[in-house]
Amino acid sequence: MLEFYEPQPDFGTPQSDSETMVTLSIDGVQVTVPEGSSVMRAASESGIKIPRLCATDSLKSFGSCRICLVEIEGRRGFPASCTTTVEAGMQVNTQSDEIGKLRRDVMELYISDHPLDCLTCPTNGDCELQDTAGEVGLRAVRYGFEGDNHLIAEKDESNPYFTFDASKCIVCSRCVRACEETQGTFALTIDGRGFESKVSVGPADNFMESDCVSCGACVDACPTATLTEKSIIGAGKPEHSVVTTCAYCGVGCSFKAEMKGNEVVRMTPYKDGKANEGHACVKGRFAFGYATHKDRITKPMIRESIEDPWKEVSWDEAVNYTAKRFKDIQARHGRTSIGAISSSRCTNEEVYLVQKMVRTGFGNNNIDTCARVCHSPTGFGLKTTLGESAGTQTFASVAKADVIIVMGANPTEAHPVFGSRLKRRLREGAKLIVIDPRQIELVNAPHIRADFHLPVRPGTNVTVLNALAHVIITEGMQAEEYIAERCETDDFDAWTQFISEERHSPESTEQYSGVPADDLRAAARLYAQGGNGAIFYGLGVTEHSQGSTSVMAIANLAMLTGNIGREGVGVNPLRGQNNVQGACDMGSFPHELPGYRHISSKVTRNLFEGEWGVTLDPEPGLRIPNMFDAAIDGDFKGLYCQGEDIAQSDPNTQHVEAALTAMECLVVQDIFLNETAKFAHVFLPGASFLEKDGTFTNAERRISRVRKTMPPLSGKADWEGTMALANALGCNFEYDHPSEIMDEIARLTPTFTGVSYKKLDDLGSIQWPCNDYTPAGTPVMHVDEFVRGKGFFAITEYIASEERANRKFPLLLTTGRILSQYNVGAQTRRTKNSEWHEEDTLEIHPHDAEERGINHGDWVGIQSRVGETVLHADVTSRVKPGVIYTTFHHPVSGANVITTDNSDWATNCPEFKVTAVQVSKVTAPSRWQARQQTFNTQQQQLLAKARH
Amino acid sequence: MSANKVDRLVKMINQISLNMRSNGSEDLVVSQVSEHLEKFWSPAMKDLISEQEDNNVGLTPISQKAVIQLAAMRRAK
Repeated sequence: MLEFYEPQPDFGTPQSDSETMVTLSIDGVQVTVPEGSSVMRAASESGIKIPRLCATDSLKSFGSCRICLVEIEGRRGFPASCTTTVEAGMQVNTQSDEIGKLRRDVMELYISDHPLDCLTCPTNGDCELQDTAGEVGLRAVRYGFEGDNHLIAEKDESNPYFTFDASKCIVCSRCVRACEETQGTFALTIDGRGFESKVSVGPADNFMESDCVSCGACVDACPTATLTEKSIIGAGKPEHSVVTTCAYCGVGCSFKAEMKGNEVVRMTPYKDGKANEGHACVKGRFAFGYATHKDRITKPMIRESIEDPWKEVSWDEAVNYTAKRFKDIQARHGRTSIGAISSSRCTNEEVYLVQKMVRTGFGNNNIDTCARVCHSPTGFGLKTTLGESAGTQTFASVAKADVIIVMGANPTEAHPVFGSRLKRRLREGAKLIVIDPRQIELVNAPHIRADFHLPVRPGTNVTVLNALAHVIITEGMQAEEYIAERCETDDFDAWTQFISEERHSPESTEQYSGVPADDLRAAARLYAQGGNGAIFYGLGVTEHSQGSTSVMAIANLAMLTGNIGREGVGVNPLRGQNNVQGACDMGSFPHELPGYRHISSKVTRNLFEGEWGVTLDPEPGLRIPNMFDAAIDGDFKGLYCQGEDIAQSDPNTQHVEAALTAMECLVVQDIFLNETAKFAHVFLPGASFLEKDGTFTNAERRISRVRKTMPPLSGKADWEGTMALANALGCNFEYDHPSEIMDEIARLTPTFTGVSYKKLDDLGSIQWPCNDYTPAGTPVMHVDEFVRGKGFFAITEYIASEERANRKFPLLLTTGRILSQYNVGAQTRRTKNSEWHEEDTLEIHPHDAEERGINHGDWVGIQSRVGETVLHADVTSRVKPGVIYTTFHHPVSGANVITTDNSDWATNCPEFKVTAVQVSKVTAPSRWQARQQTFNTQQQQLLAKARH
Repeated sequence: MSANKVDRLVKMINQISLNMRSNGSEDLVVSQVSEHLEKFWSPAMKDLISEQEDNNVGLTPISQKAVIQLAAMRRAK
């Protein structure tokens, strides 16, 4: 979908969603539009452009610029077309001598206080002010430029990605309204009145010091060069664009990658992208520079041992070397002594190929994916209760929710574009219940206040969920008809008996969870009786020893209240990485083939065996933690790890390092020499999302195209690298394009039979299941019945984590993410996003800090039962007493040196969110950090030898 | 055979049993635990723990019964 650069169409005001149609006449043309449309919108939809400056279709009409005036028969004066709604039979004229003169006069006033530097202006040729001056036929400014003006207003260049040039501002308020309506941050305002009016960043001196989250909505909305991307100032206007999908979080925003040759000069959120509808965040919009960072490794490398320097080799030599070593290992240690880890950052097609290579080339099922350490409990829990391992809704569905539960998720930081949607709905009046140990932004943000914040003690989620269900059942608030019609009644009866026990009451569970019983009862009543109830949850639910139990308890709550199967409700896991859903769908787990079908099913195996021409092992393979244990035991010797940094992202770093060190052949495919690659023997250069074709599947089950904008720097996209390795192992993979891989997936996977690249191009995106029954996809799941038939109420017994606070380790550490950084930071640390977050810090409550003599900014040591690390202290009330918090974006932080091997009982998803620790003031880095620094230096030197 | 390996598996099974203990009768729980192991564990892990069906390696009573059931399932294959 390469096209010459054109700004995206703008209809001036938002689309009306009314189903009642109104017919009117505009310039003699009969136009039929939904009731509630503006005259401007109606004109745009019929191909008539009315000049405008303060209007744009992502924002409510404002009516301030007075450029869009029209004549309406029977009405006096010249109404603004943006604020005038259509009426049946209305006769509108958009052009007349009088209108033309009025528009020119208004335009003349704007231009009299605007620099006339169009030829050297960064938005020359891409400026609405310039276009509008042309449209209204302005030819002269009679007032001169000698009077008072704003032409010498100071430029704010503090933001690393865009400038604010006040001399070019026409005070149309589009930026202010975008910050409010689109993003929901309210960082901008108009200060002063009349001539003194100006856009201001509140009490701050500049953008960087303000509440601005750098989402770029203001830049997008600006009709002049006032807010302009620095990349455009530097490179000029793009000449072509490619529609693709963001490679950061699980929202899966659609973007136009705007290019000059092979260089991306701007990422513009795509208005037709259904996940984001024209919005973006600081990562997706701006943090793309990592793709061409100097640290990129673009040549395959090999070495005998990790003490040896790397040697650059050809792709052929690298894959033949790997194949030889893998085969040798299998000959000596058995068929199951090697395996692979696929990545949620890679495309569906790449993930599919990795598991296919393991199952056909390695001859075993030792394939796992990074979802093991994030949302594997979602797969288990939702499959058990509802019948499908996926969320139930579209993101847009939240616009119809009345009561929203956000549990163990921090959408405004980790899923910011969805966070903005959520905030919009909350500003419209939806109620909010936040269940989280921390006071996340949604608890108290501009124009938003959670109705209830239940500050659960880490590790006790199940008690809170059970108590909510207990209140609903014992107070008779359950959806009886829904349950009788749609759920297994015997199991429901057994569950009712279980959940009604007094030990699940809020008064009984308060001792474990720390959540006041009265608040919990009130929250339960609100969720059960407040209309459409939607639950959104994240890793604060799954990354526990009872992650799967919590997911099942969430599904129980939704079924109990009849909140599954229509818009505005549902159970919605917020996936961490861009393609977590897709990686799981594509058979990346050691017990499942694509489409979540167990490997023990002979029928399913026969289907794949027929297509692949091999006999498949009917037994499950090793999960990631099993692989580490087996490596240390000496049973697992070779690993192919694509696009994943397990040495930084997985728990108990020292255990992971011991496992990696024990391997004879570790193959890492990545774009950078990440922490894992420092233990590797083969490095296969990866391709960024800009360098390949494929698809990602977001948290809504939405499959979207990833389109190549530039050739792979290494000469091969990741799927081509995997194919080369598979063929070196003796497979016969023959694909000329990832669309052929998707065709194979569609042939083999019932939920994907209707998916093809052509259909994706036609429809833009598709939410699976997509097959003969639902050829255009499935926005809402479980509409008439659950995928498993009848919904299953699982018994959700609370079992306290083994990881408990005691006198030696009195605090509980929980971990999470920050807006500007992403996961292990491999991408975002190599962008200017680091200006917001140069290091991970430790949040500690003032009470806990004072007890330990810790001041803000002090070095503090954090000791757990498995390790120790040192961070700077951030003394804050965002965490409650007894709980501390950090992020894991920087390798040197060693956040996972202290997290333990404890894991979810059903899936072995690590218990990242509960680690008992002690904190004390220190003066030096930990021993692990000192070792890490030495090791890193050594490995960088070994890399440098290969590159010179 | 590594004691560590067995200990690890014992810990995992006991955790599974504990989390499933309220699902119904003991027979039901035992069969759910053994099915869980069969469904999600690698053959090497299943074989190793099945070898312990008669040993006192720290399995809880339900876990022990689940392992015996698992071993029987493996033998029947």
